[in-house]
Amino acid sequence: MTAISKEERTARQGSDKCFVPNIVLITLSLGLLMLLWSVDSVSIAPNRIVPGSGFMLWQALGLPGALLVSVLIAALAALALTPQKRFYSAQLIIIALLLLLMPFGLMVAGALLIEPDMPQARLGVSGGFWCLLFVMLLALVEVRLRLKLSRLWPALLLCFVAAVWWLCALSWLDHVALVQEFKARDAQFMRALQQHLVLVGVSVSLSVVLGLALALAMRRFSRLNRLGFALLNFVQTIPSLALFGLLLAPLAWLASQVPLLARLGVSGIGMAPALIALVAYSLLPMVRNTYTALDEVDEATLEAATAMGMRSAQRFWQVRLPLALPVLIEGVRITAVQAIGLATVAALIGAGGLGTFIFQGLGQAAMDMVLLGALPILVLALLVDASLGALAERLRPEGMQ
Amino acid sequence: MIELIDVEKRFGGVAAVEGISLRVPSGKVCALVGTSGCGKSTTLRMINRLIAHDGGEIRLDGQPIDSVDPVQLRRRIGYVIQHTGLFPHWRVARNIALVPRLLRWPKERIEARVAELMALLGLSFDELAHKYPHELSGGQAQRVGVARALAGDPDILLMDEPFGALDPLTREKLQEEVARLQSSLHKTIVFVTHDMDEALRLADHLVIMRAGRIVQQGSPLALLRAPEDPFVESLLGGLERGLKQAALMRVRDHMGSLGPSLPSASRISIDASLRQGLSIMLRDHAERLTVVDGKDVPVGELSLRRLIKETQWEQPTSP
Amino acid sequence: MGTANVAVKSRAAPLQWRWPLVWASLLALCVLGMPHLEALFRLFEPDARQVVYTRASFATLLWRHLSVVAVAALAGIVFGVLAGIAVTRKRGRDFMPLVAQLASLGQTFPPVAVLALAVPAIGFGTWPIIMALLLYGLLPIVRNTLSGLLGVDAEVKTAARAMGMTPWQVLISVELPLAMPIILAGVRTSVTINIATAALGATVGASNLGDPIIAGIINNNTAYIVQGAVVIALLALTVDSLFDMLQQRLKTSRSAA
Repeated sequence: MTAISKEERTARQGSDKCFVPNIVLITLSLGLLMLLWSVDSVSIAPNRIVPGSGFMLWQALGLPGALLVSVLIAALAALALTPQKRFYSAQLIIIALLLLLMPFGLMVAGALLIEPDMPQARLGVSGGFWCLLFVMLLALVEVRLRLKLSRLWPALLLCFVAAVWWLCALSWLDHVALVQEFKARDAQFMRALQQHLVLVGVSVSLSVVLGLALALAMRRFSRLNRLGFALLNFVQTIPSLALFGLLLAPLAWLASQVPLLARLGVSGIGMAPALIALVAYSLLPMVRNTYTALDEVDEATLEAATAMGMRSAQRFWQVRLPLALPVLIEGVRITAVQAIGLATVAALIGAGGLGTFIFQGLGQAAMDMVLLGALPILVLALLVDASLGALAERLRPEGMQ
Repeated sequence: MIELIDVEKRFGGVAAVEGISLRVPSGKVCALVGTSGCGKSTTLRMINRLIAHDGGEIRLDGQPIDSVDPVQLRRRIGYVIQHTGLFPHWRVARNIALVPRLLRWPKERIEARVAELMALLGLSFDELAHKYPHELSGGQAQRVGVARALAGDPDILLMDEPFGALDPLTREKLQEEVARLQSSLHKTIVFVTHDMDEALRLADHLVIMRAGRIVQQGSPLALLRAPEDPFVESLLGGLERGLKQAALMRVRDHMGSLGPSLPSASRISIDASLRQGLSIMLRDHAERLTVVDGKDVPVGELSLRRLIKETQWEQPTSP
Repeated sequence: MGTANVAVKSRAAPLQWRWPLVWASLLALCVLGMPHLEALFRLFEPDARQVVYTRASFATLLWRHLSVVAVAALAGIVFGVLAGIAVTRKRGRDFMPLVAQLASLGQTFPPVAVLALAVPAIGFGTWPIIMALLLYGLLPIVRNTLSGLLGVDAEVKTAARAMGMTPWQVLISVELPLAMPIILAGVRTSVTINIATAALGATVGASNLGDPIIAGIINNNTAYIVQGAVVIALLALTVDSLFDMLQQRLKTSRSAA
């Protein structure tokens, strides 16, 4: 009886999938349409400091352009009414198209809105534009899930889109505020980006090594376990801002007392305290995830390994570690994403990095400069999140899905 | 041959298992039966040193197990667990190949062995070898578990509630399968179960345990005939003991020759049990059954009177 | 139902006030007695002109800090739990993957960056930090609400419906109570993270306990930094122990029932 009803239910669900509208995509696209026609899409400011005045979609693109965008979005909604596999593919193409059209839209807006006699004028990107970008990304996620694609394909698509944007930005989007801001300090930007990456890279790799060693030691010596976690938890209660600051004085003192350390680059401000603080913060998620990952492996499976005559090293490398690896990588992902955010704060103690632009910009009330720092940080975080997430997915033993 | 001599295990001063002495001759099947927590799993796991024993001695073929490296010891002993304990990240073939790989067999020999075992357990190689454990049904997974345990061709097989997690139909089928395998492989098997029917069906030697001690041991029929105390009797099925005993007796061994009177219309196979015979009599309202061989040729007769006499003969001491 | 509730309550263990009281009194001592600790902080900065932060009283800073975190947490609970409930209903189920993804995106975005983006959008002051905290703290709440509600045994829900409960009654008196420990754990994580994160607000002009820290970094005054850090840490410990108490209470009343 129950078996039959279950079958019936799955059959009905199966047919549902073909004919019931995908309300998620419909909601997203209709909401987006409403936003696009009611919120400023771009703004024009006469110079860097003065806040700009906003323009709506139809003003920025002209009526034909605005209609084109709206029709594409409406098509997205229409295709969602009777979703089938090929419709989802079509939606994927529309999303890609809209994403690719965005920089060209900015070009059109620039041509339409900026008077030729105002060389200082800058085109700012406002709410409507960001909404379009954000909703498109959400729609992409939804379509990816429906088409059961792996994370790789949308990621490649986004990389392609980003490359096109980059090209446009370099050659034709001179009037966009963000591009101007970048061109004014591109060397500085590259240096900051590099510093940021070094901070994150070094601290994450250090904490991965230390975290693994610590977690293994804590598993072996149970007395270390409590003490270790108590200590790591304690570090987390200190606000990140304060931890950076607290290291200033001791390190400056240490550097003045031990010249060798000073020669190695240790000083009160700059990279050294930033790295120490970053590692201290990264250790807890790393150790905790490693520890639980190794601990959560099914006892019965491990006992089976012993009973079959595996030596403890074989058991660790062939059974425990492979089974724990996805959760372990998850720990690395959390640690890395967190470190990208924390490294931003390190700018306050002179460690450089993208945070420099944020704090400088906030200080000068130059919002485009803040964006120049914040946007790459967001992109970086998303990139690391996605790639480590994909890595964890890949490393997940196939039998574990 | 497996010998346990006065074996004892304490957990934090409390005796979990005490005074266990038993002998399983080579090629025989021994079942450890009891309620949960009676120490039967502990006893089993001491044999392959998953748990170290604290007192007494355990010998395999006369050799004390303490004198062997536990890892080497375990590679010589097959082990089957309730929830299969298959490695979720390995395909079926790799799971079965585990012990041969640990023993560093050549690659071709391992492949041949995996194919052989899968065939032996009725698992289709083409269909299943490349699946992951989570893609198998419960019965299939347990078969793979048995195949894995047999892979290194051990003389001894330990099974810890091997079919406990399966539905009754699948369980019965696997029990038959194991009985069939055993009739050709002649392993020395010790298994733990709380299912008395399973124990009666498979075991040559039955060990009843309670609270860490052996209450009674002997052949299934001997135990059914003369349970030593009410606990054993209730485990053996109480009022249904007679039926259980009849279930262990074959028609082949207890039928009479064809009488002069007209043969009964109700028939029973010569390979059936007396219990099945009784059931057919009840169903057909017949006091006599015609016994037929595999080709449906009458070869003898089973009458109710004879059936009662035969089971009585087996049970002379019972009140 | 009323009698059942009474029965559970009478059996529940008394609240374990000890640790919350210890931390809270330490916090109060620190906040009110900070000006009197000048001698102590002199040790950190023997040469500084001033060693105790005085631009605003610590009580005021604490109040501002706490209210920012509380507003963000309340909004987070409202949004997070409502979203979690909505997408576990039959009609909202389609939105579940998207909501889960959105929530995890919230934690991927570094709070400093969100803060920086919020400033151009809504200006300096308190609101950007509330928004950043809300976004950052949403994931644990949504994730735990989802896993809590999805973790409720389907048989229990079926039984509740079979007894004639309306979907609303099933939600209120079966699903939510059963999911409560997990939801509470999510709120605890969210709030504890945000108490520390809120200090960042000081960089965008929201005055709170982050102020002394920023002032300390800028003026190279370790004493200021220590003061800010200690008060924030004590606040975090107080709130965390309060949550711990609630969770213990929930656990004991469950096991007693």
